[in-house]
Amino acid sequence: MNLRRTIRGGAMGGTVLVYLCLVGLVGTFSDLSLIGTWLTAAGLLLVLPPVVAGAVMTRPRVQAGERRTMALSTAGTGAATGFASGAVLAVGMGLVQVIGIDTVRRVFVSVSPILMETLTFGLSTWGGALVIVIGAAALGGAGALLRSMPRQIRRPIVVGTVAVVALGLLQRVVPSIFDTLSIERDWLYRDITNGLQTTGALIVFLLSVGVTEGLRRLQGRSAKEAGPADALPPEEGAAPEGRRGVPWGGVVRVVVLAVALVALPQLAGPVVSESLGTVGIYVLLGLGLNIVVGYAGLLDLGYVAFVAVGAYFFALLTGSHLITAFGLEDPLASLHVDPFVAIALVAGIAALIGLVIGAPVLRLRGDYLAIVTLGFGEIARVLLTSDWLQPVFGGARGLGDITDASIGSYGFRHPQHFYYLVLALCLFAVFVSWRLQDSRIGRAWTAMREDEQVADATGVSTVRYKLLAFAMGGAIGSLGGAVYAIKLGSLSASGGTFGVLVSVTVLAVVILGGLGSIRGVIVGALVLIGLPDLLSQFEEYRLLVYGAALMVMMLQRPQGLVPNSRRTRELLEVDRSQDRWTGALAADKRVASEVSPVGEGSG
Amino acid sequence: MAASAGGRKLGWTVGFPWRRIILTLVAIGIGVFVLIGSYRTLTLPDAERIIAETWFQLMVRGLALGAVYALIALGYTLVYGILRTINFAHGEVFMAGAFGSYFFAAAFAESGFLDRHIVVSVIVLLLSSMAVSVGVAVLLERVAYRPVRRAPRVVPLITAIGASLFLQGTFSGFFGPDFKGYPKPEILGGQWELFGVTVKRTDIVVFLTMVVAVAALQYFVRRTTTGKSMRAVAYDREIASLMGIDVDRVVLTTFAIGGLLAGIAAVLYSMTFGQIGPFMGFLPGIAAFTAAVLGGIGSIGGAALGGLLLGILQSVGPYLLLSGFHVPSPFQLKDVVTFSVLVLVLLFRPAGLLGSEEVDRL
Amino acid sequence: MSLLDVRGVAKHFGGLRALDGLDVRVDEGEIVSIIGPNGAGKSTVFNVISGMYGPDEGDVGFRGESIVGLQPNQVTRLGIARTFQNVHLFPNMTVLENAMVGQHCRSSAGVVGAVIGTPRQRREERRIRERAQNALSFFGPRLAGHRQDQLAFALSSTNRRRLEMARAMATEPRLLLLDEPTGGMDPSETLELRDDIVRMRDQLGLTVVVIEHDMHVVKGVSDRVIAFDDGRKIAEGSYDEVAEDERVIEAYLGTRHEELR
Repeated sequence: MNLRRTIRGGAMGGTVLVYLCLVGLVGTFSDLSLIGTWLTAAGLLLVLPPVVAGAVMTRPRVQAGERRTMALSTAGTGAATGFASGAVLAVGMGLVQVIGIDTVRRVFVSVSPILMETLTFGLSTWGGALVIVIGAAALGGAGALLRSMPRQIRRPIVVGTVAVVALGLLQRVVPSIFDTLSIERDWLYRDITNGLQTTGALIVFLLSVGVTEGLRRLQGRSAKEAGPADALPPEEGAAPEGRRGVPWGGVVRVVVLAVALVALPQLAGPVVSESLGTVGIYVLLGLGLNIVVGYAGLLDLGYVAFVAVGAYFFALLTGSHLITAFGLEDPLASLHVDPFVAIALVAGIAALIGLVIGAPVLRLRGDYLAIVTLGFGEIARVLLTSDWLQPVFGGARGLGDITDASIGSYGFRHPQHFYYLVLALCLFAVFVSWRLQDSRIGRAWTAMREDEQVADATGVSTVRYKLLAFAMGGAIGSLGGAVYAIKLGSLSASGGTFGVLVSVTVLAVVILGGLGSIRGVIVGALVLIGLPDLLSQFEEYRLLVYGAALMVMMLQRPQGLVPNSRRTRELLEVDRSQDRWTGALAADKRVASEVSPVGEGSG
Repeated sequence: MAASAGGRKLGWTVGFPWRRIILTLVAIGIGVFVLIGSYRTLTLPDAERIIAETWFQLMVRGLALGAVYALIALGYTLVYGILRTINFAHGEVFMAGAFGSYFFAAAFAESGFLDRHIVVSVIVLLLSSMAVSVGVAVLLERVAYRPVRRAPRVVPLITAIGASLFLQGTFSGFFGPDFKGYPKPEILGGQWELFGVTVKRTDIVVFLTMVVAVAALQYFVRRTTTGKSMRAVAYDREIASLMGIDVDRVVLTTFAIGGLLAGIAAVLYSMTFGQIGPFMGFLPGIAAFTAAVLGGIGSIGGAALGGLLLGILQSVGPYLLLSGFHVPSPFQLKDVVTFSVLVLVLLFRPAGLLGSEEVDRL
Repeated sequence: MSLLDVRGVAKHFGGLRALDGLDVRVDEGEIVSIIGPNGAGKSTVFNVISGMYGPDEGDVGFRGESIVGLQPNQVTRLGIARTFQNVHLFPNMTVLENAMVGQHCRSSAGVVGAVIGTPRQRREERRIRERAQNALSFFGPRLAGHRQDQLAFALSSTNRRRLEMARAMATEPRLLLLDEPTGGMDPSETLELRDDIVRMRDQLGLTVVVIEHDMHVVKGVSDRVIAFDDGRKIAEGSYDEVAEDERVIEAYLGTRHEELR
């Protein structure tokens, strides 16, 4: 047993535990019950670090004949690591007790009596600390064991756990789906806010295990470990150019998906539909930013400016605000543009603005471009809320009374209808993105991403294609803004509505899902927008979670969750002979002023 | 894209005429705007006019603000010189320092210690601020930057952005998202007479502190071995490592120094403005970055000069340019000034005021 | 009227005078070699011609018109293509895709065409593909067949060079600038390339300017040889004339010819 590693692992695990408590995640999530009365989301947060520490610090060394003894030693190492983690937390708790909770609280605001109660399980401090240490040790051991188990045992357990946890987290969504479909749900969800019934959870767990196992046997997979690569989820964009066919399996899947998409809001009820609508908006925004960042490789941190343009100009075009602002009375001068026309118009306006802003700015290198675009996003926000432009944009109060888009009496503001509007626009954006990917334009973008100077030398006008990407992305972004205006009925740029956080969120969605990957954007939006929307406790922690997601992704899996195969190669190119090339490239470019912020910029 | 050649007007390649025409027009337009705006502001009727004393105070305030920016900008410029990348999270390094010293400051103020033993208090505040800032900076480098140093450029950029958000969220979670009042010693609370005009004492002190810090840094970089190693790595990382310089350590040192300066800036800023919060690093961070670019990224003197200049522009600019047009609340647009400066510099003179396109920036 | 006319071009980087009062003319259908010791400014001249940066003094004329100040992609569109001393392919694109990028400047389908898939766009895509394959087939079976779907970084060093040349040829140029194309090639590959260069002129009607160190190649392909040193032209003429030129020998060997005896 490697003592140093154990201590290191334990220290890291313990630090994470302490961090989770100090930053308030444990406290906030302690009122979200997952299973019965005994497991809250906070509990889950506390359980994970020791398990992960135990799993990570041991290496699976199990072979057929030696399973028994090896497992024990592995479990031992895991337990030791877990123990160390728990010890760190316990020490922290002890310190709080010694210093006095009130004093500590003046610095770390999240250390509340409730937190301490949670941590000590209602016992005295020492009792609680003991439970934590022993519990963490057990969890560490369990984590290590899990890691060292052969795949066919581990997988069902993991799947079962994830299923239970997911159902617990989705406790606001799933029960209403059950209800709409008239399926009995009391065995699983008794009261909607109290998590799963323990017995129900157990049933789900066993069911998932059974299903996973059953599927495995049906598909007759071999029992051997297949290696790390098999953990990758499906890729996209891997088919070579020009290949087409009519795969019937694919058609069936598409049909099922279409039916599900259309039926979803009816099944899920208005509350969930609203969340889905928000997710949809971010999918739309993500697709737009995906063209800018994912296809063309331009890091845009001010994307929210386009969204704001879309929203505000939609409001101005469809309403009479603009007219009254300038004191005009003539009814013929009223701008009551039809909402659907307005949506198309704002896209055009946004594209134009994109061209105007992009022209001077897109020649800058990556880092500089990022900050400058960030600046434009901020300028947009400042201008929209300024007193100076208050007559037009409404200043801090913003614009109200925005017309709903409707076909006849079917108004799209209603959540379950809004979903379809967003869905339609998303499908449009998906189609455009997909077609562009494999086209001459997509090739040009890829070449630019790989090596901008060489692409230029080969005849690709980098200026033009960067502008194209920027304008297109902006246009799609403005569509998102327009529907956002429809959804809300009124706009105000004060507060965070059109701030940096939005730009960053969309970026996180694209990156989490996978740069350049259409499916990735959808997954990213579901995870980063859907989950927090359903779990109100996340609200205060968005920055934290998004920041962590970005970092973890870049450090561990830069190609995203649902990667585009080409981008994966590009982003992981570190350990190949590419290194020689980049070195040579730098040598060639040295005389071309490598240090200048202008000009160089691949990727 | 083609880099610039020398010998032509404004220093670029003679491009497709459109670009030059548009840029010239833009330059003229801005020049006209500045002239007209200033003229109008200065010729406002007496009731609305801003008197000379106010201008002077604005300038001094601008210098103080600029001093803070300069200190933060040095962090950006040093890291850029070494790694050719922008440390997006540097604003949060600054913010962390403010929090690091805050609890001491609050305790000192409450007990009166702050005013009884000013020197000791301030030293403690500076040290605690620097300690936390350096800690965060070093942690950033080890955890978020070093693992991806060789990855394609977009990866460290995004990691940095993620780190920036994460730090803001963390400090917000630890200490609460709201603003906290930051005390300052009474002795700094008053005003001095300077050339017959009253100016805030804090402003002067901040400025002087910055001068000392920059001088110390220049000495360090030029005279000490570590400083020379830093310059070597900035010049050519590969060769430096072949010469036996431990590049990793140099990078770490650079981040640490940046953190040190940011820590000083944090105390100065907090005392000047009287409040801190988890998101306080965002705008000053961008301003400082603009300052570094304005002065010439990679150049220490440039960062200092750029900082001061930007501070003055931010402070005086909105009033000077916009009051004449009867724009209400011009100070709201001070960040627009910052970004405009950034874009203009990058458009017209990307190497900055003191920068050159050649080697040896540090 | 010559195809390429470099007149009085000077270029300096800070204190370094890379090119100094350079005059080079290339007529259509010629194969001209540029030789000279390292650092003589050979690649710099290519960079100036292809538009990567502009000259500080002087002018570059192509088919009678000045091309100074144009973007590299515009220069390529006008008909000048080049390769690089250190091969710069698009490593994560396939061989065929690399060549297809070369065809970019000879095609025009826009966003609407790409999204909707108009017949015109589809025809153009097919044409791009065919012409790219044609360019690749110049090197025979080496870059053809299943090779075309291989990723560029996986190619051997010599095939990478060939791909870069094919990509340049896919831009349908009139003038091809090759920068040390035999770098990394073994003797047989070098001889093959020598014949390829001549074929480029004979079969495809290209005018070629080659920067080379390997004198076998220079001797075998050149109608004219230009020798550089220190950013200046020090000799020009047939291979034999230049090879015997004292200044050239001195530039390479650094000593006066007589002192060797």
